[in-house]
Amino acid sequence: MRKVIAILLLIIIGYYSIDTILKIPFGEGVKGVGKHYLESTIKETGAVNSVTAIVVSYRGFDTLGEVTVLFLAATGLGAILYDKKGKKRSLQNASLIVKTSSKIIYPLIALLGAYVFVHGHLTPGGGFQGGAIIATGVLLMFISYRSFETNHKALSIIESLAGMTFVTIGFAGLIYGTSFLQNILPFGIPGELFSAGIIPLIYVAVGFKVGAELTALLDNLLKTIK
Amino acid sequence: MSPVHFIAVPLFAAFLIPLIGKVSKELVKIIPGIVLLYLSYLSISLFPIGVNRPIVEIIAGFNPPFGITLYYGPIAAFLTTLITLVGFVIWLYSYKFIIREPTEKYYMLFMMLITGSTGIVLTGDIFNLFVFFEITSIAAYSLTAFLRDRDGAEAAFKYLLIGSFASTFFLLAIAIIYANIHTLNLADIASKIKDIPLTTRLFILILIIIGLGIESEMFPLNGWAPDAYSQAPSPVGAVFGGIVVKAAIYSLMRIIFLMFHTADVLHFLVVMGVITLLIAEMSAMKQQQIKRMLAFSSIGQMGLVIIAFGVGTEPSVRAAMFQMFNHALIKSLLFFAAGYLVFHSGSKKISALDGLGHDKPITSFFFAFGALAIIGLPPFSGFWSKLYILLSVADAGLMVPVVLILISSIIEAVYYLRVVSRLYFYKEEATDVRRTPVSGLVAMGILTVVILIVGFYPNLILHWMTPAANDLLDKAAYIKFGLFH
Repeated sequence: MRKVIAILLLIIIGYYSIDTILKIPFGEGVKGVGKHYLESTIKETGAVNSVTAIVVSYRGFDTLGEVTVLFLAATGLGAILYDKKGKKRSLQNASLIVKTSSKIIYPLIALLGAYVFVHGHLTPGGGFQGGAIIATGVLLMFISYRSFETNHKALSIIESLAGMTFVTIGFAGLIYGTSFLQNILPFGIPGELFSAGIIPLIYVAVGFKVGAELTALLDNLLKTIK
Repeated sequence: MSPVHFIAVPLFAAFLIPLIGKVSKELVKIIPGIVLLYLSYLSISLFPIGVNRPIVEIIAGFNPPFGITLYYGPIAAFLTTLITLVGFVIWLYSYKFIIREPTEKYYMLFMMLITGSTGIVLTGDIFNLFVFFEITSIAAYSLTAFLRDRDGAEAAFKYLLIGSFASTFFLLAIAIIYANIHTLNLADIASKIKDIPLTTRLFILILIIIGLGIESEMFPLNGWAPDAYSQAPSPVGAVFGGIVVKAAIYSLMRIIFLMFHTADVLHFLVVMGVITLLIAEMSAMKQQQIKRMLAFSSIGQMGLVIIAFGVGTEPSVRAAMFQMFNHALIKSLLFFAAGYLVFHSGSKKISALDGLGHDKPITSFFFAFGALAIIGLPPFSGFWSKLYILLSVADAGLMVPVVLILISSIIEAVYYLRVVSRLYFYKEEATDVRRTPVSGLVAMGILTVVILIVGFYPNLILHWMTPAANDLLDKAAYIKFGLFH
């Protein structure tokens, strides 16, 4: 009896979900706010990458929220896995080949990450992606070297300062402009590195923050032995 | 002086706390208090402006619907004031409450929980609402597991699983709305919702009720609540019952009244509210642990609020808001008192509370006071809100819910008085030499005084509820202000 009811409910919900998806007017061109974003990104934000313009400028407040979500995840994990004595990683040292090559690749990965978040307003990618790339480099080092340690104090200071920078940029918009997170710097020439006002500043802060947070997260999760 | 301070300032404080922690551990505890005091001051001074005429604040300098806006209308004004004031009292209570290391992280999570709740209340954009929901719920999961014991981990994991379902469903609903009408601004959606085909709208409604109903503790989506409430540290239980649920219910009602304001949907709310109320009260009756009992009672009260919103007339919405106000105060008081009763008796069980009324008279008095207030005895404030809810439901001609609310009130009285009688009329020899700290007693005292004053002069609060009710019911005004027409 219970199964019959469950199956009936599933059929009803399934019907409506398929119906809903079939009725969405896909492929009819961009409309509404999306159209506005595509047409006036350069004029209104000075960025040539309209995805970045939407993420950091039009909907910058959401990005501040998403940065907070990641910060929360790292904080919560830190709180739950907290141990006064400190723990160690259980991983063994990797082979000589891995160790040697990761030593060479690690700085290059960090450089790529920095490149990605600095050029967020020009090329695909941005703060979140750049930060994640940097954390991948650190993960490679964690896997290769048992003794590789990160400075937790420095990481948490970077996290805090980057987050505060984001909020401070927001307040600067409120003080020198008319609204929170408003662009108060000149747009410059679209397509150049120093353009698009506050967008690169925010993305650099986000890049540092995400990189530091993901590194701390990985470190917390890998340390399992007392 | 703008509403964005309610979100940005606590967020800034959360980012600042780790830096302060390097300097002084004591300062970490004080900063949240200063922030909440500032926000309370701000909310009280902005309140008259927001009630008079909604403040619509633009973020990042783009006019709606292209940018995100904050909508600080009468309800938002009322709820932010409630959240910041209750938040301040909760901070006062947790100041001397023994919280396990890392305290620094506790206060960071607490600050972000406040940020998320005020964000939910203030935002005028549906995706932004989702982001603040994520902030609130992730902070809540971590705080549930904060004590790092088996039960806490289980409760947090349960909460995490259900909460992830909720956010996925809500996100899917937002995606479908955007795919159909290409906008995310709530006012803009409200004006264009008729362009969406009817079956699609129904599907969106189902997704939203499941997504937001989980945080609003609506039956049958509230399985996470009793575990989370009882395993989290006591101040956090008060935050869940006093702040988070209020914000969640408000957002659910705002969306329903803006997008799906039809008689059928409102009837559905009444039915769900009645079921939530009855099942929660009957479950509360069976509980052996005091905090679980309070959690079920909290769910029941939310059922009552959902019924009153579902009736959908001006007096009933006003009564629902008043009930939210009372519940935030009284349930916080009960959690505060229960926290120390559990601490003194050394057990979460109700049976361990025997005779504590003689040993710890002040804390027990506060618990008894809260119990009588929440049952709805005069002259406490809970009496008025329950009375107004009953009157408005009866006015709408719904006699069955009236009878069921009365029955549930009797059940409620039974299980609360059972605890109170254990406190006072049972003998127990053992005495606990530890005392309840002064800051905890002050926090409970403040709530008690407010409950009594509002009980004698309900018009102090009710007076502000009329614009709030109109704010929720008047969709045209929301669209007009929200889009600057």
